[in-house]
Amino acid sequence: MNRIEFASPTRKEDVAHVAGKTWADAEILAGGTDLLSLMKDEIVTPRRVVNIKTLTDRDLHGNQRVPEGIRIGALNRLQDIADNALLMQTFPAFAKAVDDAASPQIRNMATLGGNLCQRPRCWYFRNGYGLLAMQNGKSLVPDGDNRYHAILGNDGPAYFVSPSTIAPVLIAYGATISILGESGTRRVPLEKFYRVPRTEAEREHDLQPGEIVTELFLPNPKGTVKAASYEVRQKAAFDWPLSMATVALTMNGNTVQSARVVLGHVAPVPWVSQEAAQALQGKTISAETAAAAADAAVQGAKPLSQNGYKVQLTRVAVKRAILNAVGMQG
Amino acid sequence: MKDEEVSQPVIDAVKNAKVVPPDPNKKTAWFKKSSGDTKGDPHAAFGAPGTVISEGVYGVPVITHCCLESHGTVTEWPAKDECNVFISTQNVSGIAEQMAQPLNTPAANIHVHMDYIGGGFGSKFGPDRWGIVCAELSRKAGAPVKMMLDRRAELEVAGARPSAYARVKVAATTDGKLTAWDSSAWGTSGPSTSNTPPIPYVWEIPNKRTQYVSVRNNIGPGRAWRAPNHPQAALITMAALDDLAAKLNLDPLEFFLRNIDMTGQRASYYKEELQMAADMIGWKQHWKPRNVNAQSAGTIKRGLGLSLHTWGGRGHESHCDLAINPDGSVQIKMGSQDLGTGTRTSIIMIAADTLGIPMSQVKLLIGDNKYPKSGGSGGSTTIGGVSSSVRRASVDARDILFAKVAPAFGTQPENLEAVDGTVRVKGGGKSLPWKQACARMGATAITAQGANPDRAKPPDLSNSGVAGVQMADVSVDTETGIVKVNKMVAVQDCGFVVSLKQAESQVYGALIMGITYALYEEKVMDQQTGRMLNANMEQYRLAGIGDIGELVVHMMQTPEHEKRGVIGLGEPPVVSPGAALSNAVANAIGARVPFLPLTPDRVLAALGNTGERTTRA
Repeated sequence: MNRIEFASPTRKEDVAHVAGKTWADAEILAGGTDLLSLMKDEIVTPRRVVNIKTLTDRDLHGNQRVPEGIRIGALNRLQDIADNALLMQTFPAFAKAVDDAASPQIRNMATLGGNLCQRPRCWYFRNGYGLLAMQNGKSLVPDGDNRYHAILGNDGPAYFVSPSTIAPVLIAYGATISILGESGTRRVPLEKFYRVPRTEAEREHDLQPGEIVTELFLPNPKGTVKAASYEVRQKAAFDWPLSMATVALTMNGNTVQSARVVLGHVAPVPWVSQEAAQALQGKTISAETAAAAADAAVQGAKPLSQNGYKVQLTRVAVKRAILNAVGMQG
Repeated sequence: MKDEEVSQPVIDAVKNAKVVPPDPNKKTAWFKKSSGDTKGDPHAAFGAPGTVISEGVYGVPVITHCCLESHGTVTEWPAKDECNVFISTQNVSGIAEQMAQPLNTPAANIHVHMDYIGGGFGSKFGPDRWGIVCAELSRKAGAPVKMMLDRRAELEVAGARPSAYARVKVAATTDGKLTAWDSSAWGTSGPSTSNTPPIPYVWEIPNKRTQYVSVRNNIGPGRAWRAPNHPQAALITMAALDDLAAKLNLDPLEFFLRNIDMTGQRASYYKEELQMAADMIGWKQHWKPRNVNAQSAGTIKRGLGLSLHTWGGRGHESHCDLAINPDGSVQIKMGSQDLGTGTRTSIIMIAADTLGIPMSQVKLLIGDNKYPKSGGSGGSTTIGGVSSSVRRASVDARDILFAKVAPAFGTQPENLEAVDGTVRVKGGGKSLPWKQACARMGATAITAQGANPDRAKPPDLSNSGVAGVQMADVSVDTETGIVKVNKMVAVQDCGFVVSLKQAESQVYGALIMGITYALYEEKVMDQQTGRMLNANMEQYRLAGIGDIGELVVHMMQTPEHEKRGVIGLGEPPVVSPGAALSNAVANAIGARVPFLPLTPDRVLAALGNTGERTTRA
């Protein structure tokens, strides 16, 4: 590991100043559950590490009701969220997804902001071939071992999958985040926060060097919202899903008034499936309507050489998430 | 670590290290064909009328040892030509000899020490090149140097279990009598030549032809992995037999029992174990033919599978010194090691039992090469070796004590016994507490040396050859291909069981390790870059507590088993889980997933349920 400088500012306004202007200047440290392994593997080699756990600003901490919904500070540890009665009651699918993430040890270190900003687990990226896995101007993924790579939004050059299992749930609930930078705070819908990098210089989210995520807002549910996530995981715990889906159904009696269907681990971003949402609109939920929406969700899938099975897994994840949302067995 | 924390001599030593380039004149053959083996007349047997033939391809990939504590050493040179090595090893008494020549230092001056180890599984018998480098750096730096592999290196280079694949053709008569076997197998052990796996495994099929090709490549050196070659051979053999049973419309348990004589000298053990395991897992109530399970209602299908296995496990060479002190304390010195299996406990238990004293009165010193040499802990050889040597030393020391104190009892030594913390006259009579009896031995401690083997002191206390049976109960989600273990049962013999709790624990651990390689483990190599892609512990998956289901272990402990002596248990129970689980999945879904690990993509492919164009081999 290279020599690093370590900064622990206490005021959020100082972060941009100490974090510098490029990604090579600094990385942000919160829970450290991802950053430390990235640094040990020399995947990122910052000159400075800016520890934001020491920030005392209130907006980064705590969670409470605000007029628009619920506000959650980015430095909340995952376990704090999973154990929070207000969140469990109001956004149960969110609380459950958090409780299902990683292991108890990691949940007691990792922060909400860090989870949303964690880097992809693509094994070419983690082996030092860069976010786009380029070698000699060509991605290693299409001809390589792509069993865990993207089946949607994979026209290249990015083939990795967005790693957070919490982001799809939050996007389904319509969450927004606050981002603090040198020129102040901006609010962005979480859905727009993630993007597909076109070059190695870009990252997979809309965070600029020196910026940090400070807080997250979940809007009050409008009417009756039924939501659930389904992760297809090999292991019972502490495992990345092979595919996952979250649905949030706004119900009008037994009919779906509107739906949000967000897929995880299938695309370089949390994948919002308009096709699946449309297939559900105006329908009552049954095994048949759920299966039709599941088919719609993977209609545009373009599997790579080794990940065709993920199309099937995604179909199942969508179907089961829909059925589970209304209390039916998937 | 900051740059300046590394001293200049160490940096210089690294910079000046000698690099040996490959010899350009040396030609490398990338595969080696074994001579093969033919017995009986397989051609005629396959062609005999009324023969049912099953054909398939089966295989097990390269996996790593994935020791939680990586390989490495701490080395220091307290004096010129005097080296202290603190090393994570399975082979305390065998390290110095391996370091002497590369370090140009007498083996007698190399002091090896290890108290605890975080896993070896067959990969930690030598100092390895990093151990030599560590010692050289320490010598040049004039300071202690610690060098442990990081996780990536540990998974990349510190141990790989050879793969094995085979095309198999196997035949039986219509009434289920095995007649013929034909297999063409291949596998890789990295740059070295891999050994031929024992295929067909356990079953001595009257007509057979086997062929094996060892493939050489640069994916990282193979090393012995708990029961070398047996798990691979078991998977290939038991899966092929299970598929043949299905083709015969026979319950595989019934099929195994009909052919049990072909398992050789331990056939009666296997028969009894199969029946016990079947009772433990409820085979009669729950087993159904493949097509019945596959067509059952719902997306979750349940199935049962079985396998059996064997291993040698004779005790290795072991020496120890045992002293009984005049104050009654007992001390044992042995150059052995405890891999976490409870070797310490077993040694103390045997000495305490022989001397009739509580275990707390025995002090054991192991883990250092200054003690009498004892073998490396591999191949299930430790328990037989250390228990034999310590038993002989304990008996001899006890008899010397009896000889010394017999006059005080007014009897002959052979009339004395040591039980319940006393030395007393057999059949009632004078009795002294152990401590008081020892006080009468005089001022000098009694010492005795124990050895294994020791022809001068029969009987042979160890033995070779065990039989074990395992059965698995799984649920398979046919929409996702996820396999869930409901239950595994293991029935195992290992001769005389020294400590039941430790023996059972050994088998539990093996089942968990077996479930892990059956469902998750694979060293994934990238074809384009030659890199191992999953050299970390998030993508190199290991089973967690939620993945292992219910595990039930039964150790055979009848007088007939016990009279054979102490036999090792480390390897055998890890042999069958892959085969039993693969067979259970085939029974559940009605199709064979040919290769381990049993991952969702492969299960879906076997079901023809990918719906898409792609799968991987």
